[in-house]
Amino acid sequence: MTADAPPVVAVDKSQDSAPSRGVRAWLSRHPLAAYAIRRVGIYFVELWGALTIAFFFFRLIPGDPVQTLIQTLQQNYMYNQQASTELIARYQQEFGLTGNMFSQYLKYMEKLVLHGDLGPSLINYPTPAQDVILRALPWTIGLLGISAVLSWILGVILGAIAGWRRGKLGSAIATNLSIALSHVPYFFVALILVYIFAYSMGVLPARSAYDSNISPGISLEFIGSVLKYGLLPGLSIVVIGTLSWILSTRMLMVPVLGEDYLVYAEAKGLKGWRILTRYALRNCYLPQITAFGISLGFIFNGNVLVEQLFNYPGLGTTLVTAIQQLDFNTILGVTDIAIFSVLTAVLLLDLLLPLLDPRVKYWK
Amino acid sequence: MNNVPGNVSESVLEIKGLEVVYSTNRGDVKAVRGIDLDVRRGEILGIAGESGSGKSTLAVALLRLLKAPGKVTGGSVLFNPAGRSPVDLLKVHGEELRVLRWSALSYLPQGSMSSLNPVMRVEDQFKDVILEHAPERKSSLHEMIPRLLAQVGLEPRVARMYPHELSGGMKQRVLMAIAVALEPDLVIADEPTTALDVTIQRVILQSLADLRTDFGVTLMVISHDMGVHAQLADRVAVMYEGQLVEVGDVRQVFKDPQDAYTRQLIESIPKLGRRAS
Repeated sequence: MTADAPPVVAVDKSQDSAPSRGVRAWLSRHPLAAYAIRRVGIYFVELWGALTIAFFFFRLIPGDPVQTLIQTLQQNYMYNQQASTELIARYQQEFGLTGNMFSQYLKYMEKLVLHGDLGPSLINYPTPAQDVILRALPWTIGLLGISAVLSWILGVILGAIAGWRRGKLGSAIATNLSIALSHVPYFFVALILVYIFAYSMGVLPARSAYDSNISPGISLEFIGSVLKYGLLPGLSIVVIGTLSWILSTRMLMVPVLGEDYLVYAEAKGLKGWRILTRYALRNCYLPQITAFGISLGFIFNGNVLVEQLFNYPGLGTTLVTAIQQLDFNTILGVTDIAIFSVLTAVLLLDLLLPLLDPRVKYWK
Repeated sequence: MNNVPGNVSESVLEIKGLEVVYSTNRGDVKAVRGIDLDVRRGEILGIAGESGSGKSTLAVALLRLLKAPGKVTGGSVLFNPAGRSPVDLLKVHGEELRVLRWSALSYLPQGSMSSLNPVMRVEDQFKDVILEHAPERKSSLHEMIPRLLAQVGLEPRVARMYPHELSGGMKQRVLMAIAVALEPDLVIADEPTTALDVTIQRVILQSLADLRTDFGVTLMVISHDMGVHAQLADRVAVMYEGQLVEVGDVRQVFKDPQDAYTRQLIESIPKLGRRAS
C-alpha cells in the first residue's frame, strides 16, 4: 500500500554462485550435512584423545597388577611358593603388560577398537573386563539414569515455577531451601533415608538391588523387588539432584523474565501458564539440556558412594573393587565407558540443538 | 484523513489526576504528577516530551504494565471500549484485565526492542494472541495473517520467519500488524519510530496513518521526536517533568505554542541552513 515501502526480504544468492560439481560444492549446498560430518569427525578425534590420555594416565599409577594377582591367588589358595618367572610372564602377556608403554598402548587400542576387548579383569579373573562392566552397567543405568532424568525434569519444572513466582513466599522458601541443601552430599541424604525408612521404620530394604530369594528374570515379582530396593538409593539422588536443578533453572529464568518479549506477552493478555512455558521457559532451558548431557558423565563415576552405601551391584561398586585390587583393565574400562557416554551425549545434543532453538546455527 | 467519521467528541480514554511514583531508598520519585487528558475516538494523539518527562511511564501505567518499584498513587482512567461497559483501567485486575487486553487495548512497542519472542515464528506470535481472544477466527487464520502482513507492506512469507531473520523496520511492521490484528479500540505506541533510520521512519509513519484509516483504531503515540507528531498526530500533548504543559491541535501547537517548553521542543527540530554552532 505504501509505494516507497521496501518490503523485500533479503535472498541469499550465494548458493547459486557456488560451483556445482565436486565434494566441496555438494557440501556447500548441504551445510547441515557438512556440519554433521565435521562434528562427527571432531567426535572421533576427541574420543581417541581422551582414551589415549586415560590409558597413559592409568599406566602411571605405581604398583604391579600381576604381583597383586599372584598375592591374591596365594592368599586364596594357600599357594605359598614363589611364582615361577614363566607364570609371571604369562600373566604379563595376558594383561598386556609386555613391551614398552607405546607397544602396550597399540595392542590395547587394537583389541579395544577391533574386538571391543578390554582384557581380562583381575577382580574376576579370568572373566574379561568388558563382561564385568556389562554385568554392572544395567544396574547403574537403571538406578542412576532414571534418577538423573527424573531429577532433571522435576528440577526444571520446579525451578521454572520458582523463578516465575519470585518474590512470593513459596518461591522464597523453595529457593532458600535449595541453596541450603543442594550441596549436602548424596550419601548423607542416603544415610538419613536409611535411618528413617530402613532402620527406624523398617519398611524399605537398605542393601542390595533385589531380594535374593527371588530369582532374577522378567517376572512381576522380580521387577517389583528391583523397584522396592531401588527406592532409597534413587530417592537420595533425586532429592539432592532436583534441588540443584531448581537453583540453576531459576537462575536462568530470572533474567529472561525481564526481557521485552515477556512484557509484550503480558500486554497480549495471554494466560500465565502459556507465558511461562512458551515465552519464559522456552527461552532459557537450552543450557539445561547441555548441562544434562554433561551430567550424564557423573552417572558413571560420581555416585560411587551411593552404590557403595547400598551395596548396589552397579559400576560404582565395580570401580571401587577394581581400584582396591589394582585392576587396570576394569578401571580403564569404566573410565572408557564414561568418556564414551559423555562425548556421545554431547555429540547428540549438539546435533539436536538447532532443532530446539532456531537461533542456533553452526553452519554459515 | 484527519476528518474522522462518527462521534468525534466521544472519548475512548478519560484520564483524571493520574499520579505515578517510583519508590526508591531515598524517597519517592514522582514520574507522573496529576495528568488530565482525554483520548478521542478515532484520533491520533501524540505525547511529546524529553527523556525523563514521564511519557513512557504514562504509557505503561495506562497499559497496566507498570512494574515495581513503580506505583500508581492516584487518579482514574476511564476506558470506553465499543460494545463493552466503561471500566476504570486502574481498578480492573486478573482475568477481567486479561480479557480486555489486545481485543480492546493493545500495545505497539519499539521495534528495536526484543518484543518478539526469539524462538517463535512470526505467524505463531499472531496466532497465540488471536486464538486467545478470538478463538472463533481459527479457521480464517490462514488468510488473516497474510492480509495483516500485507497491510503493513510485508510479504506473506515473513509469517514463516523468526524474529532474528527480520530487519528492524520489518520487526516494527510485524509489531504493527499484530497490534491491530483484533481491531482494538485503542493502540498505545511507545516510540514506534525510534532507532529506525529516517527513510524507514517515514514509511512506518505512513503505515500507521494508513492503519488508522483502514481499521479506525485510536492511536496514542509516545515520541520524543516532534517531527513524528508533526507528520502523524491530530492533537499533541506536551509533557514536562511529569505534567502536561500544553494540549492542542497539532497545527495550532506548532504554529503558536503557548508554553515556553513547547517552543523549545519545536525549535529543536533540525532545519537545513541553520546549523548548531
